[in-house]
Amino acid sequence: MTAPEAPAQAAMPQPDLATASPPARADGTGWNLVQRILRRQDRGRTPVEVGRLRLALVFGAFTVVFVAIAGQLVNVSLLGGGVEARQLVARKPAPPERGEILDRNGQLLAATLPTTSVYADPRKVLDAEDTARRLHQVFPDVPLATLVERLASERTFVYVRRNISPQQMQRVNSLGLPGVYFQEETRRLYPQGPVVSQVLGFSDVDNQGLGGVERQFNDRLRTGETIQLSLDLRVQHMLRQELITAMTRFSAIGAAGVVLDARTAEVLAMVSLPDFDPNDPGRAPDDARFNRATLGVYEMGSTFKIFNTAMGLEAGVTSMSGGYDASAPIRIGRFEINDDHAKNRWMSTPEIFKYSSNIGSAKMALDVGAAGQRQFLERLRLLQPSRLEVPEVGRPQFPKAWRPINVMTIAFGHGISVSPMMLAAATAPVVNGGFWREPTLLRRELEEVPAGEPIMSPRTSADMRRLMRLVVVEGTGRNANVDGYVTGGKTGTAEKIGAGGYQKNKRISSFVGAFPLHDPKYVVFVMLDEPKGIRETFGFATAGWVAAPTFARVVSRIGPLLGVPPVDETTPEIRQIMAVTETPRPGGQRVSQR
Amino acid sequence: MTVLIADREPPNILRKLLQVPWLVVLLVAALAGVGLAMQYSAAGGAWDPWASRQAVRFGAGLGLMLVVAMIDIRLWFRWAYLCYGAALVMLVAVEVGLGGRIGMGAQRWLDLGFIQLQPSELMKFTLVLVLARYWHGRTMEDMGRIIWLMVPLLLVAMPTALVMKQPDLGMALMLTGGAIGLAWIAGVRWWKFALAFAAIAAAVPTAWEYYLRDYQRQRVLTFLDPTRDPLGAGYHIIQSKIALGSGGVFGKGFLQGTQHALNFLPEKQTDFIFTMLAEEFGLVGGMGLLGVYLTLFLYGYLIAFRSQTQFGRLVAIGVVWTIFLAVFVNIAMVMGLIPAKGAALPMVSYGGSSMLVTMFGAGLLMSVWIHRDNRFGPRGEL
Repeated sequence: MTAPEAPAQAAMPQPDLATASPPARADGTGWNLVQRILRRQDRGRTPVEVGRLRLALVFGAFTVVFVAIAGQLVNVSLLGGGVEARQLVARKPAPPERGEILDRNGQLLAATLPTTSVYADPRKVLDAEDTARRLHQVFPDVPLATLVERLASERTFVYVRRNISPQQMQRVNSLGLPGVYFQEETRRLYPQGPVVSQVLGFSDVDNQGLGGVERQFNDRLRTGETIQLSLDLRVQHMLRQELITAMTRFSAIGAAGVVLDARTAEVLAMVSLPDFDPNDPGRAPDDARFNRATLGVYEMGSTFKIFNTAMGLEAGVTSMSGGYDASAPIRIGRFEINDDHAKNRWMSTPEIFKYSSNIGSAKMALDVGAAGQRQFLERLRLLQPSRLEVPEVGRPQFPKAWRPINVMTIAFGHGISVSPMMLAAATAPVVNGGFWREPTLLRRELEEVPAGEPIMSPRTSADMRRLMRLVVVEGTGRNANVDGYVTGGKTGTAEKIGAGGYQKNKRISSFVGAFPLHDPKYVVFVMLDEPKGIRETFGFATAGWVAAPTFARVVSRIGPLLGVPPVDETTPEIRQIMAVTETPRPGGQRVSQR
Repeated sequence: MTVLIADREPPNILRKLLQVPWLVVLLVAALAGVGLAMQYSAAGGAWDPWASRQAVRFGAGLGLMLVVAMIDIRLWFRWAYLCYGAALVMLVAVEVGLGGRIGMGAQRWLDLGFIQLQPSELMKFTLVLVLARYWHGRTMEDMGRIIWLMVPLLLVAMPTALVMKQPDLGMALMLTGGAIGLAWIAGVRWWKFALAFAAIAAAVPTAWEYYLRDYQRQRVLTFLDPTRDPLGAGYHIIQSKIALGSGGVFGKGFLQGTQHALNFLPEKQTDFIFTMLAEEFGLVGGMGLLGVYLTLFLYGYLIAFRSQTQFGRLVAIGVVWTIFLAVFVNIAMVMGLIPAKGAALPMVSYGGSSMLVTMFGAGLLMSVWIHRDNRFGPRGEL
């Protein structure tokens, strides 16, 4: 029962206890306790005794914790433990600003600007209704009900409105609403508005590209990379302007156009109308966001005769002096193939092309055969979706079973639907000496231009240039002539398919051409969706009246801009290059000159 | 254990009043006074809306505390299971929505008409009572058998599960922590604690890997590291630390705090009242409050040491332990030492439940002191 007093003092955790304790009572419980603590070897300890030992241990732990708390209090209040916290409030490292998009000359097409957004912490908003009403006066475009719902929600963060103007910021500030705050953000700006909308697409407030180039190159743009496009903003402007003029003039429901560098396959301009303002994509109707130039696929009609004729020449089934009997319509089952500009006689290959003879073209295709036709169209990439750098590319439509009737209709561009971009891209090898290059929206330096895949002989290409020139000089496309620019091309008018077959008054009128044809540099395609005839065109809405003049106006504007020197087409040199030797031979014999 | 019978007449009310440890009353009142002052400041120097109501509650709490103190510790021993059962029923009532009111995002309050009671707060002290009674009847031999651990495990598990479901993780940890402390004082063997901790440590990674969904993991991670989410959960702690740091040694002066005045501090009159104190009265003020708490705890220890019965000792130590845990969790939270949420600072934070229940606990502590020499057997027999 007795223990040395000194260890007993040490075992008492602290002197405070002794001073705080009342005078020990007669039974001496306090000392008994200490002695019992020290008697811990005693096997017969009661729970009470064990408890007292442990009490002491727990007390020690208490003290340690209190010291730790006091230490932290000193740390936070004196040694700057809180300063570290202040730095933590500074926002996380900002992600790089979304990269800019430039045209080929460095003109800004899309940029990222810092802006301000208003948000609220609903828990700190005193009166959701009242706050919403006041904010609604500043932002009438946000419905009051939406604001009330957001401000009364259980969340800790709701946007009131993003991307506000400095004036709006000033007004919100002066309202002095509790729980309403500002947040600095960035917003995407498209200085050119709708001009490049279909190519660029747009990006949302969260820096995600939602269409066009913005979506295609989203990852690269998000890392801050600048994307330089092959587009020439000036060409884009002119093409768009001329298409709008034509669309208005002929009351068309839409239009599309492409300007392609025939040698590098860079897209200089690509327009689809109606278009939209990518700065405010939410307001754009679906039709305006539909890219007719790449996503839309159409039966192009007679412009396909470019490929058909090139195919016939390349396959050797006909020649510039060869031809076919087009004196009577072709009947296959319930179908009948007629000519719009029927001559009812044997026609030479240039005549077939010049007068856009369906009968002659169909016979030419039959001579090549289904396999050859298919193979040729495949080489022109007309049977696969375009690889252009936008997500919106349409899948071409063509028959699965390639029967003779299909061979014949495809010859003049029916029964096959392709996008304007595909058509323009396929026209380039026809005029450039026979080299296929994948069209691109990215600027190519000269050394980056691929060698190209030869898909037809230079000679076929040369013949085709002559034939395309012929259409403009004396065929269906005379309205496409531009003095000094040696234009050439092919018209195409196709009736649109609606419920119950082809519709007489709903057409796709298009013209695809190139200039200057003695040294082809640019392919230009224009298309009008459902144009209506007007008095000046004597009620006609066919390509020769509608699309060809539009093509001419486009060329006359972009030609000088692109530095194409005007030439005198009447000089012997040009005349010789463009000369077509027509030697009609009654009897329809195929004559090979090779 | 020999059953000893008290050899004197039961003291009358007057004698008991003289025995009341008035220092405890004084300390409790001091804490409440600090709380009222800070609530006055939090309202921008006004009694409304917090300080006035809290003052009325303190008055009621004072009466409750003295009544509880007067009641013989043997009666508390007898009523332990009853109290526990009542608190459990209230917890269940909140859970099933009988008068349950959603407050602060979780369902914790029971509307009794005159007061909105948080049954989990009450449970903290009734759990102490019931566990103290249970351990009181156990001998060392009993302690050695696992089977005797089952009852207290169940007594803790039921309210803990209910509280977790509310969900109030902090309170659940406090209930468990309090119970573990009591079991420790009662004399459960070392290795059993070690085993339990090992089992939990082993279970955590498995649960993390297989039972938690990704968003739950994110929540836990933010709970552990609030700076992951500076606009959300971490916001409070960061603002709190800034406020603490701006106080300096002597503080900005009463009513001069800027962080709370400009509303940077959320819940300033409840969870973050210590931050306010430290901002306005600086390190000195914070240390002073800690000193008051420490004195109260030391006194509680003394009472525990002096108690002649296991029950009294366990109740006293349980009350001290419970209040200490709440103080620790709250202060460590506002200083960013531990991650936590929604923990009140006993006696100081605005709120009726916490104050009344803390004063109930202080009353129990005083009852232990007043009746320290009343001895009784394992079943409460005199």
